[in-house]
Amino acid sequence: MHKEILIVGLNHRTAPVEVREKVAFDASLLGGDLKRLLSLPSVKEGVILSTCNRVEVIAASSDLPATSQEVKDFLMEQEPAAGHGGLDDHLYTYSGDMAVRHIFRVAASLDSMVVGEPQILGQIKDYYLAAQEAGAVGTILHRLFHRAFSVAKRVRTETGIASRAVSVSSVAVELAKRIFDRLEDKTVMLIGAGKMGDLVARHLQRSGVSSLMVTNRTFERAVQLAAEFRGNPIRFEDYPRYLKLADLVVGCTGSPEMLLRPETVAEVIRERKQRAMFFIDIGDRRNFDPAINEINNVYLYNIDDLEAVAKENLRERTGEVQKAEEMVEEEVAGFLRWLASLEQVPTIVALRRKLEEIRRGELEKSLSTNLKGLSEKEREALEDMTSAMIGKILHAPITRLKKQPDDRDEALYIEALKRLFDLEEK
Amino acid sequence: MDIMLLKITAVFYLLGTGSFILYMVLPREFFSRLSPLLLLGGFLVHSSALGVHFFHSGYPAVTQFREALSFYSWAMVAVYLLVQLKYRLTVLGSFIAPLAFLMSLAAFAFGAGSKDLPAGLKTYWLPIHVTLAFLGNAVFALAFAVSLVYLLQEYQLKKKKLKILREHFPSLETLDRLNYVFLVWGFPLMTLGIITGSMWAAIQWGNYWSWEPRQISSTITWLFYGVLLHGRITGDWGGKKAAVLTIFGFVVVLSYFLWGDSIFPSRHAGRFE
Repeated sequence: MHKEILIVGLNHRTAPVEVREKVAFDASLLGGDLKRLLSLPSVKEGVILSTCNRVEVIAASSDLPATSQEVKDFLMEQEPAAGHGGLDDHLYTYSGDMAVRHIFRVAASLDSMVVGEPQILGQIKDYYLAAQEAGAVGTILHRLFHRAFSVAKRVRTETGIASRAVSVSSVAVELAKRIFDRLEDKTVMLIGAGKMGDLVARHLQRSGVSSLMVTNRTFERAVQLAAEFRGNPIRFEDYPRYLKLADLVVGCTGSPEMLLRPETVAEVIRERKQRAMFFIDIGDRRNFDPAINEINNVYLYNIDDLEAVAKENLRERTGEVQKAEEMVEEEVAGFLRWLASLEQVPTIVALRRKLEEIRRGELEKSLSTNLKGLSEKEREALEDMTSAMIGKILHAPITRLKKQPDDRDEALYIEALKRLFDLEEK
Repeated sequence: MDIMLLKITAVFYLLGTGSFILYMVLPREFFSRLSPLLLLGGFLVHSSALGVHFFHSGYPAVTQFREALSFYSWAMVAVYLLVQLKYRLTVLGSFIAPLAFLMSLAAFAFGAGSKDLPAGLKTYWLPIHVTLAFLGNAVFALAFAVSLVYLLQEYQLKKKKLKILREHFPSLETLDRLNYVFLVWGFPLMTLGIITGSMWAAIQWGNYWSWEPRQISSTITWLFYGVLLHGRITGDWGGKKAAVLTIFGFVVVLSYFLWGDSIFPSRHAGRFE
């Protein structure tokens, strides 16, 4: 049976982006690629996964060495320019429990560049569905992927790995979300052109902020930055007047003196009718007076504060990753148990035993009650007859199972038998 | 019968409280589903207890202090469940559930068995006036809970003590908006409670206003919430100020409800004639 699971691929750790790009599969041509994958002699089931950080082929087969070679060649064809063996340094191959663990970890975002990022699960689901549509998924990969999805869900809901921001700019976004309900209708004012400020502004925009004002001592630079962000440039001498429009203010100038005094901000917050403001001071020097944080409904975080939170989150996340890895281990063990139970002979034995148990039970019940008066001979005849019935009932399914021409369906039939007759391993 | 049901109710509220506390410590999906369900279970038993009382006696169980306590906790849980349905703010339940449990428990501790109801109370004004007044106060209890969460969240953000910052707390903006929503709902209910009360008083006692301690205290509370709401709508009373005032207002209301009648004896406190 094709119970060997194999993964061949490359990811952000083993291959640079130039290589990943070349090997990547084109989503619009995926159907054809899956057909080619399935036409490889030893591959019985297959899924192709291709994101910007990884390209992997997950296959189920009965012949591990042959499949490994075929799938490698299959991936090499993606990048013929590299020549034969050109990708060898970048490719990894996992089989058995390693392969199961790998796909579970990928789905749970434990193998991602940014651990805990949520997109990967959706991507895997899409590629799995594409493979299913192309008829490339059978009993084994079906089970494998569904277990992977459920591990990922468990990890997401039962650990905190997805919810911890570990960079200064993502901490800023996380804090903004604690203050504001949604960022889509908020306005950011970026003061200065420092690198960190730029980063935070970008992160805020990615998180939904649509309106952005940019100001800088040299107006040309403000115009230039505003163009990059598709925001509005504001002259430096004018920005205090616009302050009341800003929900988030990012300060990142190299100015040696404080830009904003508490009195100014207190006035602005009154004009805003106490709608909250979030000041992020991220320049090399202090841009905003720390006393600003004392004003009601105004929150000021400087780079040290943000870094402290990031560090704390990182520390906590390490613990969460550990928890997630343990969950993965549990699920890997569970899947391997299921895989091991997919054997023809034990299943047939279990089926026989089950029917025999039923036969015995019913026979004894009848013989001790309403058939009590039967003679020894009659009892024997009854015994023979019921045994023959069981034999006849089992004959066709067992013959069919043993003569299964297509190896791929074997697992399906075994799984069906186990479920229909409730043959779970004890 | 209804006492037995009230005991079951208290058990449900206690289990709900436990589940909500667990939810605060371990924000698992499981507890966020279980906790409101436990309160719902308690609410249904509680409702049937009130129903049984009404069926047997022909008047609602609000005429004694302990009954009023119990009725208040019922109204509070009712409003919370509605809010939960619309806003899914499980965290609010962590404040409402213990309050409901303590009140339903206190309802056993106070007062003796039921007395004969004075004739003056055997009228439809009783359920109408009392229900409106208690619903208004129940909505204020919710406003109190959001404001508490607001201050907790605000404190942590200000002090940058993010380690204890709970991820499942709603944002300050949401909490502030809810404070407003609850004031907007609570204030008219309270107003109606006062209006129906004085109309009933006019019929029963012959005048709208008789300098009853409860009349005076309600009017002061009404003015307080009115000013707060007005400050929110026209001025800059949003955010922290609104939260602090809401908490203050509710603590005063609750204290008066618990102890006011024994300090200022009134016709609302069982001296009906």
